Amino acid sequence: MGKFLLLAFRNVFRNRRRTAMTLLMVGGGVTGLLLSGGFFAFMINGLREHTIQEGLGHLQIFTAEHFRRDEVHVLDTGIDNWRQVAATVQAGPHVRGVAPRIEFYGMVSNGAKSSVFMGSAVDPVAESSLGFTPRLTSGKDISPKADGDVQALIGAGLAKSMSVKVGDGLTLLAVTSDGALNGVDVQIAGIVKTGYDEMDARYLRIPLTSAQRLLQSDRVTNLVVGLDATANTDAAAAALAPRLPGTMVLKKWIDLASYYLQVRNMFSGIFLFLGLIVFFMVLMASVNTLLMAMFERTREIGTMLAMGTPRGWIVSLFMLEATLTGILGAVAGVAGGNLLGVVINASGLHMPPPPGLTVPILFHVLHLPSLMIGSSLIVIFSLAFASILPAIRASRLQIAEALAHV
Amino acid sequence: MNAIVQVESVTRSFPLNHSKTRNLVSALREASLRVEPGEFLAISGPSGSGKTTLLNLIGCIDQPTLGRVLVDEVDTSALSPARLTALRREKIGFVFQTFNLIPVFTAAENVEYPLLIQGVASGERRKRVAEALESVGLAARAHHRPDLLSGGERQRVAVARAIVHRPALVLADEPTANLDTQNATQLIDLMRGLNERLGLTFIFSTHDARLLEHTERIVRLCDGQIQADTQLGNHDEGVGHGQVFASRVS
Repeated sequence: MGKFLLLAFRNVFRNRRRTAMTLLMVGGGVTGLLLSGGFFAFMINGLREHTIQEGLGHLQIFTAEHFRRDEVHVLDTGIDNWRQVAATVQAGPHVRGVAPRIEFYGMVSNGAKSSVFMGSAVDPVAESSLGFTPRLTSGKDISPKADGDVQALIGAGLAKSMSVKVGDGLTLLAVTSDGALNGVDVQIAGIVKTGYDEMDARYLRIPLTSAQRLLQSDRVTNLVVGLDATANTDAAAAALAPRLPGTMVLKKWIDLASYYLQVRNMFSGIFLFLGLIVFFMVLMASVNTLLMAMFERTREIGTMLAMGTPRGWIVSLFMLEATLTGILGAVAGVAGGNLLGVVINASGLHMPPPPGLTVPILFHVLHLPSLMIGSSLIVIFSLAFASILPAIRASRLQIAEALAHV
Repeated sequence: MNAIVQVESVTRSFPLNHSKTRNLVSALREASLRVEPGEFLAISGPSGSGKTTLLNLIGCIDQPTLGRVLVDEVDTSALSPARLTALRREKIGFVFQTFNLIPVFTAAENVEYPLLIQGVASGERRKRVAEALESVGLAARAHHRPDLLSGGERQRVAVARAIVHRPALVLADEPTANLDTQNATQLIDLMRGLNERLGLTFIFSTHDARLLEHTERIVRLCDGQIQADTQLGNHDEGVGHGQVFASRVS
C-alpha cells in the first residue's frame, strides 16, 4: 500500500507544470470559497448579534398558555408572578439581566386624527442594562420616572401620519385586561426607526408601569433574558428550564428570530451555489487534465496490466492521484485563503451599504475551521469524482493496443 | 516432460480499419507450437509476420479467434479475465522493446513491482529485488530512475523485473531492437545466462541476427504462418551455430 501511495504521489508531480495549473485552479476555488464564506459568516454573525441586541435577547420566557391560544383580552396569557420568575432567572448561570415586557395595542389620537398602534412597554433601566437601546432619529429614550407625564417613543411613520414631533402630546386608548376602555396621555420623548417601514407606521413604546396602569394589570407578556455571550445560549437554557414553573415556556433567540433565519438561509443558498460552481469548475477542468494524463500513460498502463496488475488497482491509482491532487490543492487554497483573509482584515476594506442601511459594511473575513474543512472536501470530492471516467477508461484499455500505443 | 506452452491451431483475426463490415485480416493463421521448459526460443520473421501477435497470445494479453493456447497446461481460452490476470502475474515475465519501465519508480522499485502486485512481504521483496538486480549487474544502480540509466541498463532492469517473481516463462518482444551492438550483445548474454543458470524459459521475437545466433530454436513466421521451426545446437555443448537439428513446416 505504501509503494502504491508513493507511485500515486510521484505521478502527481510527473508533469509539474500541469500539476501546478491544477493546484492553482483547485487552490483558487478553495480560496474563493473561504473568502466568500468567511465574509458571509461575518455578516450573519453580525446580524445575529444585532438581532439579539436590538431587543430580542438571548432567551425569552412566556406562559405556555401564550402559545396555546389567542388572547381574548390583553395580558390574558401574561405572566402573573413575573418578579419571582425574573429573580429566579437572574440567579441562573451566564445571565446578565432580565427585562419584563408587555405587548399591547390600541388607538392613538392627536385630537384631530386617530390611528392604530402596536405598543411595547418596557422597563427602561432593565433594557438599558442589557444594552437594548432604541434607534432614535430624534429626541431621547423614555425615562423610568413614575410620576409626571408618561413618556413615549413612537415610530417615524406613526409620527409622520399623526403629524407630531418630539415634545408633542398624544392620547392612547386601550382595552384593559378586564375588557374596559382606558386612556392615558403621553408626551413624545423620541422618534425611532425599527428598520421596518410597516413597523414604524404602528410602533409605540412606553414605560412598563405606565402600560400596567393603562391596562389595569400587574402582568407582563414575557421576560427577555440577556446572557454574557450568545455561545452560552444552549447551556443557559438547559440550566434555566428546570428552574421555571411548569406553566412557563423558555424560548431561545433562534426560535424567535425569523428574519435572521431568512437571511441566514439566503446566504447559505448563495454559498451552496458558489460551492456548486467551484465543484463543477474543478470537475470539468480536471476531467480534461486527467484524460490527458491517461492518454499519455497508455503504454505504461498497458505494461502494468500485462504484468498482472488487477484492473481495480488501475482505477484506484487514478482516483488516488486525483484525490492527492485535491488534498494538495485544498491545503494550498486554505493557506492562500487565510493569508488573503488576514490581509483583507488588516486593510479595513468596506463594502457599499446594502438596501436599508446607510453605513458601508466592513469587509471582514472570519477564519472558520468548519469552512476550511467543507471547502476542502468540495474540491477533493470534485477531483475524485472527475477521476472516475479516466480511471475506468484506463482500467478497460486493451493491453495489446495499449502496448502498441505511440 | 510437460510443455510450458502449447499453441494449438491458433488463428488471430482483426477487423480491417475498424470497419463495421465483416472484413477481417488474419495476423496469425493456424499456428501450432510446443515449447518445453528451459527452452531459449526465438520467433523471427519480417515486420507484420505475426511475431508480436503470437507473443501476445502466449502472454495471455490477447485471445485467439480460433484454436487455443495452453500455458503451463492451463487452457487460457477457458479462463476469466481475472484468472488470466492472475496467470500473467504469477507465471509470465515480460520484456518489451521500449523497456516500458515506470518512469517515476527507481530501478529497484520497478523490479519490485511484480512482487508488489503478488502481495509478497516487504522483507522478501527487498531480498529478491537485490538478487534480481545483482543477477543483471545493476546492484549499484538500484536507486536510479530510468531517465538516469542508459538504454542497455534500462533493458537489464526490465529483464530483472521479468524474472524477479520467478516466472515459468519470460516473453521478450524485440528486446534488442532499441539497443546498440554492445548493449544488445550484453543483453543476449545476460538472457542466455539466466536461461542456463536458472532454467528459465525464454521466448522472444526478433529479427536481430546477433540474437538469433545465440538461440537453440528458431520459429520462422511469414504472413501469419509458421514457415519453419528449426532446432539448433546447444552452444555449451559445442554445436555450431546454424546447424539444423530439426525442421518442421507447420
